[in-house]
Amino acid sequence: MEIIAGFFNWIVFLVLLALGYFVGRWKEHAHYASIRKREAQYANVLAFAVRYPPDVVTPQDCRLVSGSVVISSDYFKQFVAGLRTLIGGQLSSYESLLDRARREATLRMKAEAQRFGSTLVINVKIESTTVSGGMRKGLPAMEVMTYGTALKPAAARAEPTG
Amino acid sequence: MANPLLQDKLLVSNLEIVPGRRVRTHLGMVQGSTVRSKHVGRDLLAGLKNIVGGELKGYTELMQEARDEATARMMAQAQSIGANAVLNVRYSATSITMGAAEILAYGTAVVLE
Amino acid sequence: MRYENRQPDETVNYSTEHPLREFAWLVFGLLGVIAVGAALIGFFAGEIAARLPYSVEKDYAQGIAKHWQDKPRDASAEAARTALRAIAAKLAPAMNLPPGMEIQVHYSPEKVTNAFATLGANVVFYRGLIEKFDSEDAVAMVMAHEIAHAKLRHPAASLGRGIAVGLTLSLISLGVGDGVAGSAVQTAGVLPLLKYSRNQESAADAEALAALAAVYGHVGGARDTFNAFAKLASPGAAPVTILRTHPLTAERIAAAERLAAERGWKLDGERRALPPALARLQQEKRDKHEQNERASGKR
Repeated sequence: MEIIAGFFNWIVFLVLLALGYFVGRWKEHAHYASIRKREAQYANVLAFAVRYPPDVVTPQDCRLVSGSVVISSDYFKQFVAGLRTLIGGQLSSYESLLDRARREATLRMKAEAQRFGSTLVINVKIESTTVSGGMRKGLPAMEVMTYGTALKPAAARAEPTG
Repeated sequence: MANPLLQDKLLVSNLEIVPGRRVRTHLGMVQGSTVRSKHVGRDLLAGLKNIVGGELKGYTELMQEARDEATARMMAQAQSIGANAVLNVRYSATSITMGAAEILAYGTAVVLE
Repeated sequence: MRYENRQPDETVNYSTEHPLREFAWLVFGLLGVIAVGAALIGFFAGEIAARLPYSVEKDYAQGIAKHWQDKPRDASAEAARTALRAIAAKLAPAMNLPPGMEIQVHYSPEKVTNAFATLGANVVFYRGLIEKFDSEDAVAMVMAHEIAHAKLRHPAASLGRGIAVGLTLSLISLGVGDGVAGSAVQTAGVLPLLKYSRNQESAADAEALAALAAVYGHVGGARDTFNAFAKLASPGAAPVTILRTHPLTAERIAAAERLAAERGWKLDGERRALPPALARLQQEKRDKHEQNERASGKR
């Protein structure tokens, strides 16, 4: 029993680290699979950063569509990134986190556009913020919002597919 | 300053159009992002600089390197889908922890005639 | 103008390197470098501090001596202090103290189970510790151990080491913050300090055994002391050597027996009884214990 008491802090640390690593990796894997599936599903909804629509003559229905997501980093990523800031360079543990967040936000924006009945979103912009209890505490969560204008030819008024 | 050699192969611009050239096909959005941090030595110097003021050269370099890397990645994505230009490029920056920043570069990959 | 939706290469924006590889070289490489750096800084800081002239340390520590001298004492505390000073006076001549070093023994009636040596050859005994011993030999072992710390300039060395490594670690940890990575850096830096502390304890043990053999003719008192420590093992102390400030008690016993065999000391012998002033402390504790039992029995 005394052995456990002496080691308690270390045990907690290792358990959290293992949880962060295994569960975190599994969740990331699952999320990426879902993202790739939905990107194939929404392949017909086009999104561009250009500001001028292809056709400025025909009346179009416009609507501002957006998608946002807040994704948190796990214990393992925070630990590795914290050590990495000592020597500098790329924080590769966070890069996949941000990639997932951006693609998820874009997919949600496309989903909203599709609900509106549109297949083209232009002037797409991406904003990101850290959501945390203070910068010193590291990166508990990252919020990414993608927004743009969805265009639909005014003549063909399709029923929004809820 | 983005690597000039890369820009010779692929045109990068934050304009909508390229004067004198037509866009044949829009290929989709491309993004490049990177998260970088500076090492502890630079953090210390920056901390000291907070007392006397002036340019934080270490952090300037950090942001510069991060932007170059992000732009390079965006161009790599564009090349992977067969584009020869990226238009309407925008940059966005977020600070992650103390001394680390994420730079995102995104734009529309196109094939110019 | 055509519009297409081509999927770009997604591996551009994240790394496909296995995260455990980066984890491995960060933990073993980076933390290893920090531990080695702390060991070096600690070594040099300790050596410099221990080689400062003793007169400098004594002047600096005058405040400490005064602090303990000026504490109010009742009759039993005064008697205990005198008894302890008598034991110290027996041991000090046998221990080859550096010139100018006078051991100043202080006694505190608090129930803490501890004794320590600090700057300026000030040694403090707490009542809680004395109550645990049955013979003068056992008390003498602890006294000799603390005098050895003072003789070898350990308090100064530890202080110098602690300041140097502590300062360096705080500078490094500025960027890391106080998350879990920051604690990992602190732990890596503290591990070498713990090792130096264990070395100091072993050196003090060796000197103390020599003094005991010279003055009392045998080192049985050391066994008494170590047995008492073994019974007192605190639940918070780390069970693994690498995290401890003192070597494991079993190791101290083994080291003592090895040394005694080398130098031809007698492992056992007749124990001297506790001086009356110290025996009284034990008696008072037993009396109070009995009183409490009777009181709770009556209820």
